[in-house]
Amino acid sequence: MIPLEYYLVLSGILFALGFYGVLARRSAILILIAVELMLAAVSLNFVAFASYMDAELFTGVIFAIFVITIAAAEVGLALGIVLRIFRERRSANVDEASSLKW
Amino acid sequence: MGGAVVLNRLPLPAQLDRTVTTGGLLAGAIVTPPLIALIVLRVLGNISSAQMVWWMLAGVIVAGALGAVTLRNVVHSALALIAAAMGLAGMFLLLASEFLALVQVLVYGGGVAILLMFGLMLTNATEDPVVIDGSQKPFAAGVGLILGVALTAAMLSANWDASISTVVDFRDLGARLYRDFGVPFEVASLVLLVALVGAVAISRRDNDDDNDAEAAS
Repeated sequence: MIPLEYYLVLSGILFALGFYGVLARRSAILILIAVELMLAAVSLNFVAFASYMDAELFTGVIFAIFVITIAAAEVGLALGIVLRIFRERRSANVDEASSLKW
Repeated sequence: MGGAVVLNRLPLPAQLDRTVTTGGLLAGAIVTPPLIALIVLRVLGNISSAQMVWWMLAGVIVAGALGAVTLRNVVHSALALIAAAMGLAGMFLLLASEFLALVQVLVYGGGVAILLMFGLMLTNATEDPVVIDGSQKPFAAGVGLILGVALTAAMLSANWDASISTVVDFRDLGARLYRDFGVPFEVASLVLLVALVGAVAISRRDNDDDNDAEAAS
């Protein structure tokens, strides 16, 4: 049987990788990809806890469903905003999108 | 030798042919030793089948995540994200929640991946690979490393009173979702609707505003 810690450590590593991506990347869409990794790490953590420690109610699985839903909504909306910024600035580089109004 | 003949017959440009061959050989050289080690461990009885599958999936997930955050070609990066998401779907199967595995494949492998590809193609991310990674990269690597070590240490040091993992039945999941989480479910669908309308409204080309701005200036 696989110990619970295996899943937890994997999700921690995945979260750290996503965090690195958010900090290191400059293109808005690549930052979105890294955010997706972090969300996936969180849902893996939820499901692992639900499966091992909450066998009757499995609330973590329900939460993982909501996390995936919100992640899909977030990607759609964020891509709309990125396209808008790109159209105004001719660039999807987040360093250049530094003004609130232009 | 046979593989090379087949590759020569494929209608590929010569350069792509070489890329495919070397890439395939490289991937095989990297993947084969751990795979053989896992199978040997399984045959010797040191690890169970579930653990063998876990290590394979963990390899796919970590490699995909590493690729997604480090590759310079942005399309490759998005493809690596899909690989990580598919590995995660396998992980959900191993955790015995089939529904989540299906949702993961449908939403990440389908929707999110296609959306990200659209985003990459519609912006100039593909044309300008130099600006992908900023000068903050060493700092980011340090912070990521510290965060990873801290999370790992915290999760290993805690004493989880974990029982054996259980299968989440489709029927139980549906009952729990609609009976106990009915209102959050409806709110989530509302959020999706608002996000959809908002995305359309934001990314729409508003010609009227442009004309007004030109007239004013």
